[in-house]
Amino acid sequence: MTALPVLISPRLAVQTQGGDIARGWLSGGLLIAVLTAFALSVLTADARAAIGGAGSFDVVAILLKWSPLILEGFLFNLLVSVLSMAAGTGLGLWLGLGRVSQLAWLRHAASAMIQFFRNAPRLVLLFYCMFLLPFSITLPFATVPLPDAAKAVIGLSLPVMANVAEIVRGGVQSIPVEQWESGEALAFSRSQILWMVILPQCLRRMIPPWMNLYAILTMSTPLISIVGIQDSMTLARAALVAEGRTELFIPMYLMLLSWFFLYCYPIARWTAALERRFRVRI
Amino acid sequence: MLGMVTRAALACLMLAGVLMAPARADDTLDKIKQRGSIVVGVKNDYKPWGFVDPSGKIVGMEIDLAQDIATKLGVKLELIPVTGANRMEFLTQGRIDLILATMGDTPERRKVVGMIEPNYYAGATNVLAPKSAGLKQWSDLKGRKVCAVQGAYYNRRVSQLYGPELVVFPAVPEAMSALQGGNCVGFLFDDTLIVSTLSAGDPKWADYEMPLASEDPQAWAMGVKLDDLNGPLGEFLKKLSVDWHKTGTLVELEKKWGIKSSPFLQEMHDKYKGS
Amino acid sequence: MEGIADFFRWLNDARGINLSIFYDALDRSRFLEGLWTTVWLSLICTVLSLVIGIVGAWLQGARFGAVRGLVQGYIQFFRNTPPLVQLFFFYFAIGNQLPHVIDEHGMLVPPISNIGWAILSLSLFAGAFNIEIFRSGIEAVPRAMVEAAESLGYSRLGVFWHVLLPLAFRISLPALNNNLVNLVKTTTLAYAIAVPELLYAAAQIWSEVLNVREMMNVLLVTYVALIAVLVAGMSRWERALRIPGYNP
Repeated sequence: MTALPVLISPRLAVQTQGGDIARGWLSGGLLIAVLTAFALSVLTADARAAIGGAGSFDVVAILLKWSPLILEGFLFNLLVSVLSMAAGTGLGLWLGLGRVSQLAWLRHAASAMIQFFRNAPRLVLLFYCMFLLPFSITLPFATVPLPDAAKAVIGLSLPVMANVAEIVRGGVQSIPVEQWESGEALAFSRSQILWMVILPQCLRRMIPPWMNLYAILTMSTPLISIVGIQDSMTLARAALVAEGRTELFIPMYLMLLSWFFLYCYPIARWTAALERRFRVRI
Repeated sequence: MLGMVTRAALACLMLAGVLMAPARADDTLDKIKQRGSIVVGVKNDYKPWGFVDPSGKIVGMEIDLAQDIATKLGVKLELIPVTGANRMEFLTQGRIDLILATMGDTPERRKVVGMIEPNYYAGATNVLAPKSAGLKQWSDLKGRKVCAVQGAYYNRRVSQLYGPELVVFPAVPEAMSALQGGNCVGFLFDDTLIVSTLSAGDPKWADYEMPLASEDPQAWAMGVKLDDLNGPLGEFLKKLSVDWHKTGTLVELEKKWGIKSSPFLQEMHDKYKGS
Repeated sequence: MEGIADFFRWLNDARGINLSIFYDALDRSRFLEGLWTTVWLSLICTVLSLVIGIVGAWLQGARFGAVRGLVQGYIQFFRNTPPLVQLFFFYFAIGNQLPHVIDEHGMLVPPISNIGWAILSLSLFAGAFNIEIFRSGIEAVPRAMVEAAESLGYSRLGVFWHVLLPLAFRISLPALNNNLVNLVKTTTLAYAIAVPELLYAAAQIWSEVLNVREMMNVLLVTYVALIAVLVAGMSRWERALRIPGYNP
């Protein structure tokens, strides 16, 4: 921290000593807090059910009964997130390179696409893909069926593609121009410089925002339950309808929330650690 | 000369143009016979016309009818669960060959889907409400919150005639949850489902009733693509439908699934019995 | 006006492109109401989330570790769980369990309506991000400013309100704008609990008039246009408030 009256870059400002230790304690405390809240909700549900006179029943037993099925749904959510991320990253890489290309028409087209897919809400894009993509693609030699889940993966990968393109653009543009010039001096062609000199250097910087994007994507996968695909949300709702007890709602949703939390929070911590390690030291 | 990137882009555009060429229109019945199976869209949340049994299979009165169609055509039966909001899209896209999913036969829908006559059932609109709501007639709904499900044909008519505040959910389970939570005064739906829900004996519906007079009776119909309506598939289904009424198959199935005997079916059976 | 309606009616009859919102008064009013609901829902949630952000940023400097821990817990919970599940949790789970009140018809209803829960849930979600944004903005203000203010006799609250917050606001404006855009996009989730915003209105129209293709395109274009306008406005505001020479 400098004593000079200049403003510090917010990114550098984050690295406080006390902060790290506090976060270490907090993650443990947070887990305990989440589990405590969950346990409390289960106990209250038990008590309510007993008072309600509908015969006491074991909330934990009911949750355990449905957990395997909902867990399957949750793993499907994760599968969708991985596939969308892969598809979006692949497409986004090319879109990002197009965004920094020397061809003016490519730059503008890529820029328009990126703006379009970043501005559109994820749920609307998902609806769009579910309704308007054909259910099978007719190629000259065969008909390839396009199942619902595939359409959902495509729908979710579109915003990922746009964001990855922005990350790539930011990464490529953050490399000092001297690198390009040195490459030219050594008689590399532009695409050689891009692939052999620039991109390997960008990779480290792009990883933390890319992981952040993955976390956001994972947390938007429950949207597929709204368009009729069976995932953890639909199964949880079906379980609640099948059981029919209103006291089960809070424990069930808390359970689902804690599963997502247990998956995404470590990713967020890891991202923050990588950000600290990879930050540009000037 | 165009650079490498530009040439690659043009090639992609041309490929896309080729792929988007419209497919040849093929007769559906031929396709079914070739494929060896008929794909039927059915409901899986509308007991007992189409619902999921504990083993996960879709069963119900409409599934029995679909099986009859498949047997008579000599093909296998493939079921796809649909909702009110997506069944017509699936049909026009070609994803299903036939809609057998409690679909009401309305003039607007006839513009998009071919409805097979004679209709195989009839329902009417009513509301599932708690007894404590004290609803007596349709005008009591004015300004009240009423839960509904997307894609139902009666939503618009009821909201225009009686002015309730419709709270429309994507599917039946959410609407039922909202009703039980007190978020609305009633659930607007087809009276056949409401009757079957109330008569199932489930304790959580013990304090509910169907207080209003069923309105706007709507016949249900099987749906095929408009092109097929007067083609071989359409003709086959029309003859089969007459047959069902004549031989009393529908009345028997009604009894089998515990559905309250419908005067519509009785009328149709009497009408076709003699022919 | 009539000419436009006639044109779209012709378009439907002659070409089969059914854009009923242009010639049918009921559909048009529903669509515009949905658009308006999206706009004011976003506005209310923005204001509330800013308040939460400011209060949270203030509490993060609190003396008691328990308060700091509580705020951090709130942030991590809302940042690492899906907003849709949060929304369902609030509306279906908590809403059903709250003590019901008697409304004007003598019925037992939950105290908060679905719109209320949508506002609450979305504000809490966006507020968690805002706290982080304000915190990093506050940490970018040099310690010397704070010390100078303290030496002039400002209380801790005074320093926060008169010195730290205005500077932090200007610094974190780009991130705040990004959060606002995300908030507007997240309002579409309220569709699942039947809040009559734009997506809901469009879904109503297409399930009754059966013009899914057309309505989906109209919806997509409308949202992109709405957010493009917002982004443009925000960029201008950012440029106006930019601190010269400061380029993080």
